[in-house]
Amino acid sequence: MSERTRRGRAMRWGVPVAAIAVVAGALGAGPVIAAVQGEPALPERTAEQLLADATKATRADVKPMSGTVIQTASLGLPGLPEVAGMGGTSPAALLAGSHELKVWYGGEGRVRLALPGRMSETDLIANGNQVWLWESDANKATRIKGADARQGAGPEKALPTAATPQLTAAEVLRRAQADTVVEVTNTERVADRPAYQLVLKPKDGASLIREVKLALDGETFVPLRVQVYARSAAEPAFEIGFTSVTFTPPAAENFTFTPPAGAKVEERTFGARDQESGAEHDRAEGLRETIKTVGEGWTSVAVLPFSEKDLKAGLSQGRGGGQSDGQGSGQGGGQGDGRGGQDANAIVDALLKSAKPVSGAWGNGRVVQTKLVSALLTDDGRLLVGAVTPEKLAEAAGRR
Amino acid sequence: MLTVQEATVPSTPPTSSAEDCSIVTRGLTKRFRGGQVAVDGLDLAVPRGAVFGFLGPNGSGKTTTIRMLLGLAAPSSGSWELLGVSMPRGLPAVLSRVGALVEGPSFYPYLSGEANLRRYDAADPAADPRTATARIGLALDRVGLTAAARKRYRAYSLGMRQRLAIAAALLGPRELLVLDEPTNGLDPQGTREVRALVKEIADEGTTVFVSSHLLAEIEQMCSHVAVMRAGRLVAQGPIAELRAGETVRIRVETPDTAEAAAVLAALGLRGVRSGDGEAGAELGEEAPERVCAALVAGGVAVRGLAVQRPSLEDVFVGLTGEGFDVDG
Amino acid sequence: MSTVSGREVAVSGAGSAAERRPEAARGGGSAPGARAVSAPAALLRLLGSEIGLTFRRPRNIAMLAVLAVVPVLIGVALRAFGGPDDNDGGGPAIFTQVTGNGLFLTFAALSVLVQLMLPVAVAVVAGDSVAGEAGIGTLRYLLVAPAGRTRLLAVKYANAAVFCLAAVTVVALSALLAGLLLFPAGPITLLSGGTIPLFDGLLRIGLVVLYVAAGMAALAAVALALSTLTEVAVGAIASTVVLVIVTQVLGVIPQLSGLQPYLLTHWWSGFDGVLRDPIATGDMGQGLLVFAAYAVVFGSIAWARFTGKDVTS
Ligand SMILES: Nc1ncnc2c1ncn2[C@@H]1O[C@H](COP(=O)(O)OP(=O)(O)O)[C@@H](O)[C@H]1O
Ligand SMILES: [Mg+2]
Repeated sequence: MSERTRRGRAMRWGVPVAAIAVVAGALGAGPVIAAVQGEPALPERTAEQLLADATKATRADVKPMSGTVIQTASLGLPGLPEVAGMGGTSPAALLAGSHELKVWYGGEGRVRLALPGRMSETDLIANGNQVWLWESDANKATRIKGADARQGAGPEKALPTAATPQLTAAEVLRRAQADTVVEVTNTERVADRPAYQLVLKPKDGASLIREVKLALDGETFVPLRVQVYARSAAEPAFEIGFTSVTFTPPAAENFTFTPPAGAKVEERTFGARDQESGAEHDRAEGLRETIKTVGEGWTSVAVLPFSEKDLKAGLSQGRGGGQSDGQGSGQGGGQGDGRGGQDANAIVDALLKSAKPVSGAWGNGRVVQTKLVSALLTDDGRLLVGAVTPEKLAEAAGRR
Repeated sequence: MLTVQEATVPSTPPTSSAEDCSIVTRGLTKRFRGGQVAVDGLDLAVPRGAVFGFLGPNGSGKTTTIRMLLGLAAPSSGSWELLGVSMPRGLPAVLSRVGALVEGPSFYPYLSGEANLRRYDAADPAADPRTATARIGLALDRVGLTAAARKRYRAYSLGMRQRLAIAAALLGPRELLVLDEPTNGLDPQGTREVRALVKEIADEGTTVFVSSHLLAEIEQMCSHVAVMRAGRLVAQGPIAELRAGETVRIRVETPDTAEAAAVLAALGLRGVRSGDGEAGAELGEEAPERVCAALVAGGVAVRGLAVQRPSLEDVFVGLTGEGFDVDG
Repeated sequence: MSTVSGREVAVSGAGSAAERRPEAARGGGSAPGARAVSAPAALLRLLGSEIGLTFRRPRNIAMLAVLAVVPVLIGVALRAFGGPDDNDGGGPAIFTQVTGNGLFLTFAALSVLVQLMLPVAVAVVAGDSVAGEAGIGTLRYLLVAPAGRTRLLAVKYANAAVFCLAAVTVVALSALLAGLLLFPAGPITLLSGGTIPLFDGLLRIGLVVLYVAAGMAALAAVALALSTLTEVAVGAIASTVVLVIVTQVLGVIPQLSGLQPYLLTHWWSGFDGVLRDPIATGDMGQGLLVFAAYAVVFGSIAWARFTGKDVTS
């Protein structure tokens, strides 16, 4: 009898166990279903075919679509947690955590990007030469002049999370060169759609990047996801991709914007900045000229004349000049400039604090390493940055 | 002092078949976490229509047994039936026909007595809401709480609370009433009333299973008794049978103790004892008047003569050890 | 003549026990068909009793009253001191909007109360539901009545869910009234910058109420599960509140940002989706799925525990 009650008890607890299993199953079902369903979905393609198709698709007009993009970064910046609690639209905030971006694309220069925050939203609505930036937090609508969405990129870049999959993919495609192992799989599933996946692996072992995965929609060849894997982690260090996407034309209301009653309305001219940032812009231009690159492809190292003071001064202007990981240099997101500067300063402080002193034939310096990027600040006033091991940086430092 | 040998008390379940029983248990055992065995291999058989006294000192396992019978606690082993239905599968169907008071009254302090009864009535899926008011009124009336029906339970005295608990057990037509120490906290008058109420209910054909640690309180109303000691059943059966096993003694008050003892022995009585102004022996089959005549004839100065029929209390104490010991 | 088969009141009458015994045995109503009350009706009656108990209990009434007062206080404070006009402090912009449109007081009040006060009220009712009855001993009488363990638990949860809806509705209505009395009303500016008419705004408030109530009902399942683990109601209530606070803390630790989508508290404020254009049905649907998952998992834990436990109080 006691056995019966014991068995009864085991059966009763089986119910919550089953419930947990079902929930866990539902969470993990995505990949499982993908693996099962994905197999026969797409015809095989070689890397060349796929790249060609993709390039064609990128050049041609992208079909009207809408969807949700999630960007996740875990770059392993030392000391970042202290500053990572900042607002969702701050440029520095994009270096950690997960961010959601809604995208509507209506074709013919009609784009709407929405960055939802808690009880807030930042919207960029472009309809031909009408471009509006709406920030609900500030109850402010900014009309951006001089930008025409029909002329290609531009407005997308104006939003802090400028990198849509298309832009990021184009960047990655450019890098696909001889120093890369390229593979293609046809069994991926992204945003519930069958997709090709292009895997790019650097051949040079000095690269911190293990591989870059680019998922392309099986039907439209629109890039759906980009993942950058560091050698040091199994999870992607950086990922941006659609979690849901539909290739039906979005409702026209998405692309019309009238500043609501009571909102502050401002105007800004795209390209021409206010004086302060203009000066900084000039300096950045000057800087660009003095940058040298050492090496090629995945393991190229940028060498800048720079000192700690410059770094801080530059950053406090509100521009993420030190972010050399190729994304997230959130330009012109009209709001949060000051805050962004402070955040960036804090990051620099944290980074410098965690920097390890190194020395070699080239002199002395301090090195900071993240999952994807290393930086070496030499005492003789040079900053070396690259997606490479610190040893490689030191080697580059030796090559004057 | 007389003692009853365990062997003289029928502790095997009566021969009546399970169908005639309101409660049957077989090897019912409760082992609490920590290893304590509160109820150990209980074999009960409560005949239908009986008023069954479930006796035992505090901590002997009465309440634990009742909890298992009503499905509040799962037995560690053993099986049981209520009203002929195998438990615990039949619990939902059967419990509507069972009224119960378990380990004292428990009610919502911020509700009136009547609202409390309505609450419990609502929990019974077999209770008809249309007759609820009438049934609640009747139950309150039976326990004499009509006047206090609208008072908050918080303001009830201990006796009133106990009565309300009995009223809750009487909310519907019951075939079995399980009352755990129903006279706890009642004054002698209240105890008498409960006794009368139980009699009345039993007269309607309801089986009453009533537990107590005080035999005297329920002795008069019981047709059957079972006696628990430290989780084990030590005696069970019709009250008359329990009594039948007892030894009746005759006691003579006399200055001539030696002579009296001799006469008693001469009559063939057993267990003759004498001393300190009295002599006595087991009466056996002998008639008291014949013993008296023999004593007088034997020249014994009889100052007093008594037939000692030991009370059930004595039997109870004998079975359970000291009456006030707490088991466990 | 006393009979047991019908549901009429047992009436005492003449006759010996011997005479009645066989009849009692026969008329025992062991035939299920003899029931005069249908199971759903009986369940509703128990639920009615439960709800009556909850909403007549002074403690619960006091909690609802406090919940009703807070939106009024927020409204009065905003009216008296003006909104945090310069938004440099980083305060939620929603408060700024209240002064311009009273309807926003509902969203503002809910976004404040959903963090702690509503969860505490729900934890009190749901955490008390089983443990409280066990504590005062009424649980054993309900079970002997017999309420049925699964049935009683279902009713307890349904009652907690009703309380969740009531509490959220009280907050919303109080905020709506205070907002309309203290501030101008008009078309609503959505977070996305679009504008919808007043009536649509009211409908969306209705959606918010349902969404938040669902979130609270998920918490109620957690509290109910904790409530079956103890006979001390305060213990169940306190541990639920502690759990809420710990979850909120986990939700703001940046290193654990990957955990966020799995945290119940993360989704509670997801009702801002109704203020977007188009309504963020995807996100809110996901929130509702999370709520359902919590309700199912913790509801089944409560069930497994409650149907298997010894009631020894
Ligand atoms: N929940 C419990 N856990 C552990 N032991 C218990 C529990 N309930 C009762 N007991 C023990 O079981 C024994 C019998 O208790 P009980 O059935 O209440 O006795 P009675 O009702 O005859 O006074 C006692 O020793 C008591 O201490
Ligand atoms: Mg007891």
